[in-house]
Amino acid sequence: MNLINQHEQDDLTIISFNVSNLDASNADAFRKQVRPALEKSKKVALDMSVLQFVDSSGLGALLSCLRFCNEQGGSFVLFGLQRPVTALFELMRMHRVFNLFDSIDEIVGATS
Amino acid sequence: MKALILAAGKGTRLMPLSRDCPKPMLPILDKPVLECLIEHLASQGVDQIIINTSYLAPEIENYFSSGRRWGVELAFSYEGYEEDGQLHDEPLGSAGTIRRIQQHSAFFDDTFIVMCGDALLDLDLRALVAAHHQTGALATLALMRVPKNKVSQYGVAVLDDLGRIMSFQEKPKPEEALSDLINTGVYVFEPNIIKYIPEHTPYDLGSEVFPALARDGQAIYGVEMDFDWIDIGRVSDYYSVQMRAIAGELATVTRPGKEILPGVFVGANTRFDPRRCHIEGPMVIADSVTIEDGATLIGPLYIGRGSIIERNAMIKHSLIFDYTRVGAQASLSNMLVSGRWCALPDGFTIDPQRSGISWILADSRTPRKNINQHEQLFLEQINDFPPVTELIEQLNREHSFSRPW
Repeated sequence: MNLINQHEQDDLTIISFNVSNLDASNADAFRKQVRPALEKSKKVALDMSVLQFVDSSGLGALLSCLRFCNEQGGSFVLFGLQRPVTALFELMRMHRVFNLFDSIDEIVGATS
Repeated sequence: MKALILAAGKGTRLMPLSRDCPKPMLPILDKPVLECLIEHLASQGVDQIIINTSYLAPEIENYFSSGRRWGVELAFSYEGYEEDGQLHDEPLGSAGTIRRIQQHSAFFDDTFIVMCGDALLDLDLRALVAAHHQTGALATLALMRVPKNKVSQYGVAVLDDLGRIMSFQEKPKPEEALSDLINTGVYVFEPNIIKYIPEHTPYDLGSEVFPALARDGQAIYGVEMDFDWIDIGRVSDYYSVQMRAIAGELATVTRPGKEILPGVFVGANTRFDPRRCHIEGPMVIADSVTIEDGATLIGPLYIGRGSIIERNAMIKHSLIFDYTRVGAQASLSNMLVSGRWCALPDGFTIDPQRSGISWILADSRTPRKNINQHEQLFLEQINDFPPVTELIEQLNREHSFSRPW
């Protein structure tokens, strides 16, 4: 199953989800599907707006993406987090690790 | 004087707090709301109290038993039935319970008081009963005046010049409200009230009996009373009242434990070296708690019995329920947590087990398992990352990403 879609906006690759959960059942598949985009683009923004649930496996997958991008000298940011996900991020201090934005416009505004 | 305390409700709006604890048993610091009410009734000359129970009834009945500790006679009226070792709740409603008790033993043989078991109050009940007798009412309701913009949260009573209730409005919009006097759930009745309660059906005082009495022109009166009334209907209400109690702002609730630093109260058998933690009061730490060195605790904060706060955990403006393990990676801000759930004051809930974060929040009595390989990897990963401020600076330098502030 195709978990993600991607499109380009200027030099930014925007990846969005086709599923509302990122958890133990699909975290590995997500990791594999997102890798080509991370290898190809230096600037990746992950649209989290349809995700209603993320568990620790999902968080682990997101951390892997961030780590990979950092190692490649690229950037990996998240935007549009919904409340259940935001609450979990804060509970686990993930908000101190990831660069989070409210919307794609905020990212574009920040980079222009 | 006799009183009935209504304590059968499920407390749906207080989920997940009321999942394992009936609403009247929710503690204000170390004391259940219901205990505060019983103490208040005893101080006002009430000597016999009957409590109707249904949801998680044993939690209430086993705690209060005969009531001798409070200097009153307690009785319980359970609403439901037992089958195959399981209790099945069948609450009768606030009016139905009166009929059941009366049919059982004619307990209410004189003027009596009825109140909800989920509010803290310091109402002068003697004055309320005196006002009730003065008018010769069948029923008298304690009313409180609230700002017009708050009426939509409550039932509103419309009075005539003599104090007789002419009609009720249930949670009216402010612009449609005919009064700013709200029903506080404290009533005085004559035993004859039973005539207006049908048999064999759940029946409610507020939505069924009172409107019928008002419609029929019966002697139902409202008395505006000035008293401290803290309704604990929602998670946000409970959170607020606890924050006030921790700060010592509630006259009726004293802080338990020993005050080891200004505003920092600690119970017996607690392992805690405040010199090795970052602490800012006010806070109340119950008994038998373990707080490991390096924890950050910022008040108002309550930590319940037998909890374990691991090194480097950060907790701020939160309520930690009994027997909760807060993991070293946890960052709790404005939260209510136990080993089984984590809630925000507006009732939004996270399930730690479903989220796979039992190493962040768990029951402290559960033996600690070695964390599995996946969790170990996760922790290593997260610990490898610098704080986001450093990341942002790095991103700014390399890719011109920055926050707009």
